[in-house]
Amino acid sequence: MHSVSRGMRTVFTNRAAIAALTIPALAVMLFAIVAPIALSVYYSFTSWSGFGKLTFVGFRNYRELILADSTFWRSLANAGLLALVTVLVQNPIAFLLAVALSKIGRSRLFRTIYFVPAILPVVVITKLWVGIFNPNYGLLNKVLQGLGLRGFQLAWLSDPATALWSLIFVMIWYGFGWALLFYYSGLMTMSREVEEAAIIDGVSRLQLYTRVVIPYIFPVVQAVLIIAVVSSLKQMEVIYLSTNGAPGDTTQFVANYLYLKAFSYGEYGYGSAISVVFVAVALLVTAATRRMTSRDPGVD
Amino acid sequence: MGAHGKAALRRMTGAALYTGLAVFALLQLFPLLWLVDFSLVRSGELFGPRILEIPHPVQWINFFRAWHDGHIPQYFLNSVIIVGGSVVGATVLSFCAAYATSRMVWKLRVAVYNVMLLGMIIPIHTTLLPNFVWFRLFGLYDTRIGLMIPYVAFNLAFNTLMFSGVMRGLPRSIEESAYLDGAGMPVLLAMVVAPMVVPGIVTVTIMTFLSGWNEFIMANTFLATESLRTLPFAVIRFAGEYSSDYAVQFACMTLVAVPPIVLYFLFNRWIMAGVTAGAVKG
Repeated sequence: MHSVSRGMRTVFTNRAAIAALTIPALAVMLFAIVAPIALSVYYSFTSWSGFGKLTFVGFRNYRELILADSTFWRSLANAGLLALVTVLVQNPIAFLLAVALSKIGRSRLFRTIYFVPAILPVVVITKLWVGIFNPNYGLLNKVLQGLGLRGFQLAWLSDPATALWSLIFVMIWYGFGWALLFYYSGLMTMSREVEEAAIIDGVSRLQLYTRVVIPYIFPVVQAVLIIAVVSSLKQMEVIYLSTNGAPGDTTQFVANYLYLKAFSYGEYGYGSAISVVFVAVALLVTAATRRMTSRDPGVD
Repeated sequence: MGAHGKAALRRMTGAALYTGLAVFALLQLFPLLWLVDFSLVRSGELFGPRILEIPHPVQWINFFRAWHDGHIPQYFLNSVIIVGGSVVGATVLSFCAAYATSRMVWKLRVAVYNVMLLGMIIPIHTTLLPNFVWFRLFGLYDTRIGLMIPYVAFNLAFNTLMFSGVMRGLPRSIEESAYLDGAGMPVLLAMVVAPMVVPGIVTVTIMTFLSGWNEFIMANTFLATESLRTLPFAVIRFAGEYSSDYAVQFACMTLVAVPPIVLYFLFNRWIMAGVTAGAVKG
């Protein structure tokens, strides 16, 4: 700020202006995000259906949630599995395709195509895949039949053996465009000279990526990994609009579970306890992923 | 290996590259093609053995019924009002907040900036239950404005991030000379800063629009009246009421998918810019 002249300094430090510019945004945040979370903390100590009488129950909801609720742990485990598949399967594929795109001349058409599912409403995507998995008319079973794999024709979303994997596939498919474009834009920030200099220094093709490219775009890799983990935890709509956690609780996810508890079972207090734990887990996971991925000796 | 062999190898790698890219492109597109195809034939044909069906003739009636029985005009209008309002709100508020936190000098600016980014970490879903109760206290439950407020709130984070990124790169001298010409803060923002960040404004507007247009779970929670509901509910309506009339249901889904697709192809460059900003700064 040394270049700011004295007169400008008064403009840029004008308290009334700062207040006028920031308070509206902060007020909306406070009203729609911060206050409700505080409210959740309050309701999490109650037994309440959302209407009528409210009783305080202390930590009972939390005790039950942490110690006795297998569905809750199932939901977290499912999110963990989704995160794992995203990081170990989706991300590497997206990275490789991004590298391929950065090597070919006309990548625009491909980039445009890959991102099409990502801009569509989640309702359309989910109902489309519910149709594809349908045992009677679904695309998947028809393809299997065409390939002579009649034995693999299943009721994908109602079979406990396949329901979770089917939904994981949908979520990976839906998020694929994001991962790919993130990596692609990261690769595009790298100049040709860096790559050429490394090749002149005699690194192999593989080393070029492990030693030069990935460290160079590491902030992007880190961002994509954090997004992958956090968004796995946040999944809800795809589940709500397809299996709603069934069969049993095999496809349950945290957000859908708290919704189900509050609005279908009328356990609003308990649902609020899930909300609070969910916020804590989301903050923790974000911090942990950031720390874990930034330990790498990346170039910044 | 001779020069000849090398060229052949390069051609082969090139072919392999394109094949791999094409396979994944097909994997991303084919489900959508299937959807559109079966929205153009008779419902019963979906149960045939074929993966795709040639319409004979094209059953436009499916689209007519989806449009009419799906209440698409009504839902569409609601979406335009609600999403339009939140786009204006989220763009203006984040523009102002980004300016104050990235260009002005005050003690709490970093803290306030970080608070603004909370919306990216806090899951939307954790606010569904409390806001269901909280909004009722203010008479906001089951109103359009009651849906616009959280739409604005949850878009502020990305938008502020985006605007800050663009604004940090601006040269001080232009603002200074505007100030010396006697411009006050509102004029400075509207006439000097805004024109310099037009690309940022376009990207923020489109990203906010798409996120609101496609949003489902908050609309599902905070709206109860049929006549207020947004476009995704057309699909839900068909999944329930016409659950055996698949072709009409598919036509409805196709119609609901059209607006974001059109926007995507019109504003592709700006959407990509938004995604890139998310990757590099997120």
